[in-house]
Amino acid sequence: MAFLDNSGDIILDVVLTDHGRKVLSKGDGSFQITKFALCDEEIDYSLYNKTHASGSSYYDLEILQTPILEAFTDNASSMKTRLVTYDNLELLFLPVMRLNTIAAQNRQTSDAAYYICVNRETEDNSGSDSVFTGVGVSADGKENAGFIFGESLRGAAIMVDQGLDTTDISPQRKLDGEMRETSFIVQLDDRLGKLVDVNGSQAEPDYVDDDNIAFYTLDLGDTFVKEITSVEVSNNVIKGPRGSRMQFRIMASMDLNTSSYLFTTLGGTDSLTNRTANGLTKSSVVYIDTTVRISGVKTGAFIDVPIRYIRLS
Amino acid sequence: MTYKPLNENDVVNTRTLLHEAIPLTGTIVSGTYGGTSIPVGNEGNIKNYAHGMFQSVYDYPYLSSSANHIFDITFGCSTGGELYGKINTTEGQQSKKKNIYNQMSQVLMGYDATGSILPFDEDGDILAGGKKIREAFILPMSRLLVKDEIKKETFQLTLGINGQYTHPHLKQITIADVGASTEYRVNSPAGEYGILYATASSPNQLLNTAAGQEHTASIGGVKYWYAGVIYYQAGVAVLTSSILQTTSSGGGYLVGQPLYESIKFTGEAAAGESTRASLTGSQISSSANHFRHRITNLQFNNTTELNSTIYFCRANHSEFNYSSNPTYLSNSKIRVKTRSSDDPVAYITTVGLYNDNNELMATAKLSEPLKKSPANEFTIRARLDY
Repeated sequence: MAFLDNSGDIILDVVLTDHGRKVLSKGDGSFQITKFALCDEEIDYSLYNKTHASGSSYYDLEILQTPILEAFTDNASSMKTRLVTYDNLELLFLPVMRLNTIAAQNRQTSDAAYYICVNRETEDNSGSDSVFTGVGVSADGKENAGFIFGESLRGAAIMVDQGLDTTDISPQRKLDGEMRETSFIVQLDDRLGKLVDVNGSQAEPDYVDDDNIAFYTLDLGDTFVKEITSVEVSNNVIKGPRGSRMQFRIMASMDLNTSSYLFTTLGGTDSLTNRTANGLTKSSVVYIDTTVRISGVKTGAFIDVPIRYIRLS
Repeated sequence: MTYKPLNENDVVNTRTLLHEAIPLTGTIVSGTYGGTSIPVGNEGNIKNYAHGMFQSVYDYPYLSSSANHIFDITFGCSTGGELYGKINTTEGQQSKKKNIYNQMSQVLMGYDATGSILPFDEDGDILAGGKKIREAFILPMSRLLVKDEIKKETFQLTLGINGQYTHPHLKQITIADVGASTEYRVNSPAGEYGILYATASSPNQLLNTAAGQEHTASIGGVKYWYAGVIYYQAGVAVLTSSILQTTSSGGGYLVGQPLYESIKFTGEAAAGESTRASLTGSQISSSANHFRHRITNLQFNNTTELNSTIYFCRANHSEFNYSSNPTYLSNSKIRVKTRSSDDPVAYITTVGLYNDNNELMATAKLSEPLKKSPANEFTIRARLDY
């Protein structure tokens, strides 16, 4: 996409998204625009210079010179950083999302990702006493940190906390209601995996777009989202007032579970330490790297969690 | 809150008509890819078909992926026409010309009360009877050019009708839908149509419009010759073949003026046939070639009907003053504020339009960032065209 001409009047470049066109083509009346949001994805607020010698009119001089790209038609690539309305105009802190990796079950692998073993063979060879090529468990049979078992639905779980991540405000203070997230949207490549809760129950996506991205909406009170009530530091990654917590696993798709086709198309190869007793032997795996995006409906805060699907090659 | 509902006062539907000028010079139609070394009909931008029912004209050699289809040329003859019985029956020419005529007239003119196909009428007054167009060159224009319809009173076709085959454009007539923006017909199943009139640009009178002559009309005191009809929504021009025949052959070309003897339609000197001889003795593609050879210029304006929905996205002073942009915060603290009493500031670059399910249906980009703070309000007008 090129930049828009910003030499004259402000113009508006409007396009239907590819998903919008798909919905329109259904002809079932689901193409009904009922709401809007505003976004500032090109803006780098670190350019806001509050110490500019010429005064406050010059604080945002560089920001206002930001060139704007033409509209993307890919719905998943647009509107990532939305503007937010809070009734209170005197807020100095806003909530964020943080990956909670404190508990052993929520830890990532050493390369700061979650590995999803797409079949039992990759997990632990279904507990075989004769084959030890599985990479999800160590030689002593313990589940490796950061490994999600995408078929048997155990192992690591991804946990995201929401709140004010600052030491300037005591965690004892309650988070304002308008900053407490009540609904999360999870975006996940539907060809690769499905969202499940920690009990293994699969969530239903709201829709799957034309690029195979599944959108799940998870609400406070269901098996995925709950309020953070503990004020202890030990199991909280948010330093200040806490809001909601979301936890989930990812189940490998049938395609990844049964075939290496997508791995050869989208991924690469690696070798990982397997469960052989000496703890030194490695198995060759194929992998696909992707991310899961979790965003708040109310606050617009979001986090991208890197994940790697792996399969014994 | 990051989404704001649009209420009924924020959505408006409008309709806009866009027009483009489509100039097709005669050189595109018969000159650029031909020349003296390539026989007429073998030009790279002309596509003939084994079935021989019509010929297609492209703006570039048609084997190239860059080529665009411009229009087709064909010829049709009614069984009630004077020429029909004279048409050579070899290779099915007679039946092909009859079939073309019937096909086009049933689509464009429809049927009478008995279910019979109506012939093309030269003045569009079907109930009054009058003169019919029974032998016609038919030019269906490509939808690529016509879009939704041809704009009324913009169609203009200039034909070279000089007698000489090698210099056909020395004398010209212009065929146009004169006055059609205020006078057109609606009694066709294919939509609105206008009457095409011919006039000569030469100081010499090329068309016989003398009092008492058939096929003449007077508009605003100017005498014209009925030359055919044009269907605006269908994008089809139907031209009477009489326009290229002499008066003695029932046409409009005036005999008796110096140099204006019978038109050499297919070639020069003795080998050249008259229009009548070509239409009765040649295949459709051959007649199309020689008709094309005489096109000096063809132009019209098309019309695209845009149905738009305008969404007024209103950001009031108390709304959209904060951002979820990761760079907006440093350790959860807002970068653009020093004290809590400072006004929050955010910058708008994009508008997203969503359905009830939070699915992003459309995006709109501003050409430059808009500063949003509690001190200002914006109404952003996003228009979606269909």
